[in-house]
Amino acid sequence: MFGTSITWGDISFMLSGAGLTLAITFWAMLGGTLAGLVFGVIRAQSPWYVNYPLGTVLDVLRSVPLLIQFILFNSFQSIIGLNMNPFVVGCAVLAAYTAAFCTEIVRGGILSVPTTTRRAARSLGLTYWQDLREIVLPLGTRVMLPSWIGLTLGVMKDTALVYAIGVIELLRSSQIIITRKPHEALVILAIAGLMYFIVSFPVSRLGAHLERKWREND
Amino acid sequence: MFDINYTFHWNQAFRALPDMLAGAWITLQIAVLSMVIGIIVGVVLALAKQSRFVAARGFATTWIEIARNTPALFQVYMIYFGIPAVLQLVASWFDIDFRAMGINIFYLDSYWAVLVGIAFNNAGYLAETFRGGLRAVPDTQTRAARSLGFGPFDAFRLIVLPQMFRAVFHPMTNQMVWAILMTSVGIFVGLNIDLTGVTQELNARTFRTFEFFALAAAIYYVIAKIVTSGARLIAWRLFRY
Amino acid sequence: MKFPALIAAGSVAMSLVATTPVFADKLDDIISSGVLRCAVTLDFPPMGSRDDNNEPVGFDVDTCNDLAAALGVDAEIVETPFPDRIPALVSGRADVGVASTSDTLERAKTIGFSIPYFAFNNVVLTREDTGIESYEDLAGMNLGSVAGVFEAIALEEDFNEWDAGGSFRTFQSQADVFLALNQGQIDATVVTGTVAAATVNEGNFDGFVIADEAPYLVDYVGLITLREEYGLINYLNLFVNQQIRTGRYDELFEKWVGGGAEAPDLSVPGVYY
Repeated sequence: MFGTSITWGDISFMLSGAGLTLAITFWAMLGGTLAGLVFGVIRAQSPWYVNYPLGTVLDVLRSVPLLIQFILFNSFQSIIGLNMNPFVVGCAVLAAYTAAFCTEIVRGGILSVPTTTRRAARSLGLTYWQDLREIVLPLGTRVMLPSWIGLTLGVMKDTALVYAIGVIELLRSSQIIITRKPHEALVILAIAGLMYFIVSFPVSRLGAHLERKWREND
Repeated sequence: MFDINYTFHWNQAFRALPDMLAGAWITLQIAVLSMVIGIIVGVVLALAKQSRFVAARGFATTWIEIARNTPALFQVYMIYFGIPAVLQLVASWFDIDFRAMGINIFYLDSYWAVLVGIAFNNAGYLAETFRGGLRAVPDTQTRAARSLGFGPFDAFRLIVLPQMFRAVFHPMTNQMVWAILMTSVGIFVGLNIDLTGVTQELNARTFRTFEFFALAAAIYYVIAKIVTSGARLIAWRLFRY
Repeated sequence: MKFPALIAAGSVAMSLVATTPVFADKLDDIISSGVLRCAVTLDFPPMGSRDDNNEPVGFDVDTCNDLAAALGVDAEIVETPFPDRIPALVSGRADVGVASTSDTLERAKTIGFSIPYFAFNNVVLTREDTGIESYEDLAGMNLGSVAGVFEAIALEEDFNEWDAGGSFRTFQSQADVFLALNQGQIDATVVTGTVAAATVNEGNFDGFVIADEAPYLVDYVGLITLREEYGLINYLNLFVNQQIRTGRYDELFEKWVGGGAEAPDLSVPGVYY
């Protein structure tokens, strides 16, 4: 194939790695977004004694290299005997990391809705939850969604780091093939890069498009 | 609750603290240098992307999209293991065998590979940030400057650029923190002198993973905090009216 | 009379309930689970590598299969790059490490070693064009090795002693070291002789040559497991002993290394283990 010694077997090995990359991204985004929504609402309207400790924990997650978080949590869960497999460790750590960023996005989205709008909603007789669901969510989404898409792409790329704890995702699977076919290193890496790009690029275009469209309406 | 079957050897980790702090210094060095290069190249890319020349636009777009749509680890790996392969391939087209001539043009130390890789990544992200920042500076500013007698370059350098940097100062601080965190991928291309590299080496020798990496995490956090508070201080000094 | 008997019966019953989990050590766990999970490094031919179908093969893989057969369970290979071997054990992802682990005193503080199951001599591996002909020629060159392994520690010590410039870099896997040597980022590495010979013979890397023996101590490698699993460690010791006694060790050596060489002597003269 391509006049090289790379076989279809190698390509399908890389594709299964890419599948794992997407699976980790999915679970991390799912967990991270749910937690981020909850924490974001709490962060947007809690007194300092709730906000400050929560903010600090999330800040730590954002200020320590993800690679270190993977290794650290992996060894921690093994010390306390949780016996999680590396895939689950990868998803859990990445979900927590995602939550830390998602919280700030949600908080920003909520705070972007003017207080006057929310007061108007409440004086029209909407309950607190109705206000949050019917007013804040639709208005905040315009601010949140582009950032959220950006976050998804960031997380997808960050999955490459689960390499360190022994999950054979896209980059690791490419490296395994390079081990056997070192003279094809460049081609294999280019294929891996292309696979990331094919997934990431259309989504990032979509994000940019939404951002532009919604800005025009403002 | 949990069946803890592990005795922590914290003492061993604290003994290695001087080595780890020396590693942290290298980490900071790479991050700062990669930011300086990233800002300069980022401004050029942002301008190139708005240029009239198709080639300049294409070059900038390619750079920015690759930097933003592939993992940083991939980029560093590619620069370390891929670029020499490209050079080798190109040389072979022209029937040049540098190796036989005893010239090692393929040599790129891990330190530089990580620096170049992260600078590449920074430049791609910062270019987009700067583009947004440039949009935030109204055209009227340039026109006003030109009518006051500034040349086009001076108008850009003295009027537009400072306002742009004010608009993007916060995202730039974030990028700086990311640059610090990104240096940790250096261990995949042989870097053994930065904070993660030193930690991983200690880990491999002693197998005390948790202790060493917990200490490393704490050091990274402190560095990140110092950088963000420093940036806040600078912003306060620079941008007050 | 009745009362003490009751107590005795009760305490027997209690002890059956209470002590069962205490006695179920790793060895019992493996046997009752029916699976032996071995941490093996798969970029270290001929000890461990992947075949054309990306399936694990090698001396270590066969050793793991033999051990599983002896235990009467199925073998499962858990791929672990060198620095990940012990985290894999401690985290319970693997039961035993069959991964050419040098038995250093530093590591023995954390994990348990069996008696040596293999021994390496280290050699200088370089490219033809570097002009390196002896170990001493390494001074001032760009060198590299795998993070934290026996030969890396020895090489770094000499590198620091020479203090002649150049660089010393460590990688996360043997494959990356070879790739860096191939691409020219390093000029030479010190690597175990069997691996160097296998790599040169395989011909994946053009121009690799073995320049010289490295003047290091013999690098004895043991099977590894958790430090406190005495039952399993005893079993591993007997297993290694039996492999040699039955000639299986020589057989595997011939299969994976071969070339008319003698399988390395695993005993240290003049000392009890």
